[in-house]
Amino acid sequence: MESPLHHFEVHPVIPIHVMGVDLSINNAVLAMWVGLAVVFFFFIVVVKNGVKTIPGKLQSVAEISLLFIRNLVDEFIGKEEGKKYFPFVASLFFFILACNLVGLIPGSYTITSQLVVTGAFAFGIFILTLIIGFAKHGAHFLSILVPPGVPKIMIPLMIPIEIISMVARPISLSVRLFANMTAGHTVLAVLFGLAMSASVFLGWLPFGFTVVINGLEIAIAFIQAYIFTTLTCVYIGDVIKLH
Amino acid sequence: MNEGSGFRQGLSIAFRLGIELTVATLVGAGMGYGLDHLLGTRPWFLVLGVFLGATAGALNVYRIAQDFQVEDEGGEKKDRSDPEDPSGKSD
Repeated sequence: MESPLHHFEVHPVIPIHVMGVDLSINNAVLAMWVGLAVVFFFFIVVVKNGVKTIPGKLQSVAEISLLFIRNLVDEFIGKEEGKKYFPFVASLFFFILACNLVGLIPGSYTITSQLVVTGAFAFGIFILTLIIGFAKHGAHFLSILVPPGVPKIMIPLMIPIEIISMVARPISLSVRLFANMTAGHTVLAVLFGLAMSASVFLGWLPFGFTVVINGLEIAIAFIQAYIFTTLTCVYIGDVIKLH
Repeated sequence: MNEGSGFRQGLSIAFRLGIELTVATLVGAGMGYGLDHLLGTRPWFLVLGVFLGATAGALNVYRIAQDFQVEDEGGEKKDRSDPEDPSGKSD
């Protein structure tokens, strides 16, 4: 029986080595490109069909999902400020969602199950929030480390605590997405391994479960993409409003 | 669009709380360990880091839960200050 972690392995498809640096195109990169292409062509098709006053099926899906993200941005960042960040948040949501869903196709690769990928997203967002904070508030931004209304005696204690909770944000953001995707796909692989190794009389039971859990995984793909974008909005909003 | 909103928020909170608590403790411990490594004061900063990290985690969870509670009470914005909180103001 194959190892249930086998499908997380990265192996090169087109080996490229430039000056000792491994730039090979591997299955993870391919899956990322597929995710990108899915988002890109979905919106291209919507626009090519003509944006109508009475939307067709595809246009409705695109409009509802964009409106949904619009509401998210409005709620957590603010109506005026949110306009600047809407394109970033929307592309983040659609890319993660597409990658999660592409990963559910048997034989493909779940790019979001790699901590490197989610970590890079979260680290980028963390740096982005720092830049926004310092650009907007200058040195006053450091007051984010001192919650308002804290007595003076508590300040030396509160600053390390706030630093820790600040640093914990990108880590929890990346670990949440990575852990949920990895766990779900491992469960699927284990159940499927059971289905393949059991006799026909018993094999239908774990196989039935894989079908059910696949449905659950589709829901998880949406929910995790939603949580990731919500928290991105919350973090950007926190930095803009500064308490 | 707003029908599933409560359900979605509930799920997102369920996914957030546990990880928030764990990660903050780990980050505190990691920072303490790093400081020990730099200053050669093992194990004191590690001990301090674990406690501060756990505090930060608890504080984060408390804030998330508090935000949720205010939304739960539906429009009626409760004064967030806690009578038991000596600072008289929170968040």
